[in-house]
Amino acid sequence: MITKGQKRKYSPEEVEATDRSNPIWESQRQFVFSVSLNKYQRGQELPEPSLRRSVLIANTLRQMSLEFCNAPAEDEVPPDSSLSGPEEVQQESPSNKIPSAKHHPAQVVTNSSSALTTCSGVSSLHSSHYAAAAISSILTALDSNIEESPQAVQRTPFQSLENLSRSSEGSATWVKQGVRGFVGNLEEWDECRVRENQMEVTRSAYLTDFTVEDLFQDIDTSLLDKDKLFGLRGCGVGHPAGDDLPRYLLPISPSASSSQYLSNQNLKCLPSFSSFGPLSSSPASLPTIFSPSSSLFPGQNQGLDLEHLMEILVES
Amino acid sequence: MKCFSRYLPYIFRPPSTILSSTCHTEADIISTVEFNSSGELLATGDKGGRVVVFQREQESKSQPNRRGEYNVYSTFQSHEPEFDYLKSLEIEEKINKIKWLPQQNAAYFLLSTNDKTVKLWKISERDKRPEGYNLKDEDGRIRDPSTITSLRVPVLQPMDLMVEATARRVFSNAHTYHINSISVNSDLQTFISTDDLRVNLWNLEITDRSFNIVDIKPSNMEELTEVITSAEFHPRQCHTFAYSSSKGSIRLCDMRQAALCDRHCKYFEEPEDPSTRSFFSEIISSISDVKFSHNGRYLMTRDYLTVKVWDLQMENKPLETYQVHDYLRGKLCSLYENDCIFDKFECVWNGSDSVIMTGSYNNFFRMFDRNTKRDVTLEASRENSKPRAILKPRKVCVGGKRRKDEISVDSLDFSKKILHTTWHPHENIIAVAATNNLYIFQDKVN
Repeated sequence: MITKGQKRKYSPEEVEATDRSNPIWESQRQFVFSVSLNKYQRGQELPEPSLRRSVLIANTLRQMSLEFCNAPAEDEVPPDSSLSGPEEVQQESPSNKIPSAKHHPAQVVTNSSSALTTCSGVSSLHSSHYAAAAISSILTALDSNIEESPQAVQRTPFQSLENLSRSSEGSATWVKQGVRGFVGNLEEWDECRVRENQMEVTRSAYLTDFTVEDLFQDIDTSLLDKDKLFGLRGCGVGHPAGDDLPRYLLPISPSASSSQYLSNQNLKCLPSFSSFGPLSSSPASLPTIFSPSSSLFPGQNQGLDLEHLMEILVES
Repeated sequence: MKCFSRYLPYIFRPPSTILSSTCHTEADIISTVEFNSSGELLATGDKGGRVVVFQREQESKSQPNRRGEYNVYSTFQSHEPEFDYLKSLEIEEKINKIKWLPQQNAAYFLLSTNDKTVKLWKISERDKRPEGYNLKDEDGRIRDPSTITSLRVPVLQPMDLMVEATARRVFSNAHTYHINSISVNSDLQTFISTDDLRVNLWNLEITDRSFNIVDIKPSNMEELTEVITSAEFHPRQCHTFAYSSSKGSIRLCDMRQAALCDRHCKYFEEPEDPSTRSFFSEIISSISDVKFSHNGRYLMTRDYLTVKVWDLQMENKPLETYQVHDYLRGKLCSLYENDCIFDKFECVWNGSDSVIMTGSYNNFFRMFDRNTKRDVTLEASRENSKPRAILKPRKVCVGGKRRKDEISVDSLDFSKKILHTTWHPHENIIAVAATNNLYIFQDKVN
């Protein structure tokens, strides 16, 4: 906290940092990245973090992460990697998909090679991958267990069929925005995964407080499909409870298979929007108190729901 | 720009404030302030779930220069801390918003909300009490009916004024996420409550059901990139409301179009200036408050660094943009680090929509005159608490040589922030909440 009269240490933010070839920009980016991850972790420790705050931090991380994925490869990258080709192409590609179109005009991508030499190279790309994993963890939907099923939400305040079609259009618009915003380009995510697989896992300079094991909490691999564990690569895994596992394994969405893959990685120690759901720490089998099929919230049904809830809890 | 002076009383505190003037409990922090539609009453809510209502004194003919003061009228505990057993989380009792209903009879009604529950409170006066019951004594003891030999009619006798607050409605169990705003419709029958992802429409008479009219929650929460930050009904059109988002956009919706207002009829967003783009562009573009003008023609939004006035007929850019504290643009990194960048400042119109006001740090608040384009920075502080003193404009020095009365950016106290302000609907009286203190300023009488 900046207190009155206290002289702050020099920090890079005073410098105009719109030029991405500027090393100060790079140091600022690293600083913001590390601070974002710290906030991310601290936010997770809170019992009920602010959704707005978490979304803004996640969007910031996403922005930096995608900028990294779009950045050309560094010279230190091993020649046998598959990076060189696509990244050289990316040098003059202004049309990289960038989330949140309003805030990320097409010229965001770092095109100059000097920017690369100042980057941490491998560790930067790794940090971007960690950020990608972190972001997907942040945005995991766990209250869908209670609020809604994977099917389209039925919102029928007036029981009118015309409203149903309208609602699906509306939600589709949001979903499309989100997919476009978050995943960006599926090829880019594949690109990041390829880089990550072919490079040695090194500790990022920014993630000094983190290790791979910290990021990926134990998950019982015997319960997971081996294909989905492709990215985990032998990290020690276990999971808190079998019933909790479905929380982390989201239904496969045809439009975002990569994001779904990323979300299947460990999610527990990374903030997830699951904590904003009505039952973040409860088994997935609990009934929906907040019924998605109706926008009514009748108090008179509470008694019945509680009884049903108790039965489920006893059975589980 | 008229100068604002301070008349007595100059500082209000919630009744339970501890004695020391320099420290306070967490529960005393004022979290919302609101004048009622006549300006006679001023309500404050705090983190402890209490609502304190101030009433303006009647103006005295013997002292025409002295405007009516605001004194405590009623204090009540609106919300208590609750426990969500399913999530194992405590629901804060902090009052997020208070909205008055226009007065329709002798009683006053207001809506107050915490994170999950909205309550309708009735504040009424009692200055008479019935005396002369047949079946009970004046002290309440039941009389033996066999001892009653004659009947009498109870009569109303005057008593000391007593102000009662009773909860008439409780609107609960409708929000999964935290309620950030409520707004009463001009039809005086409905209101909306808004959380991070949904807007619900209620009837004031019906508490066990609400209609969800906006839902931006994606089916896959991974895809969530935007939340709702505020919503308000149009002051005159009962079918129109607007809601703002964390991405800096405002959507105007017409409830006549469809029952579910996922499709906006107007979308207000200003394209980002590439020259000012930074890592924090999105965060500082997040709108913290949206307010319709009284005449219903304009919309005002507050993001982290600016206040913007939008014409409802022009969606692609704001009509006016006012820099609140642009000297913080170079400090965004530090402000991000200490979380100040997430502060949600409110903004208010004056009664004639000619002046807008919003808060800043160091207990500064800013006013912008839309007609003359002049602005002023004032400070709410105890040091200025002299009766009849005219508030001196303050200035922040951004660099170079600092003048005597200026304060440098590095000396600003970011723990003292003015997030909540309100303006009297007809007169130039403002109420400013600075942590646990409430400052009421009145315009100088010429």
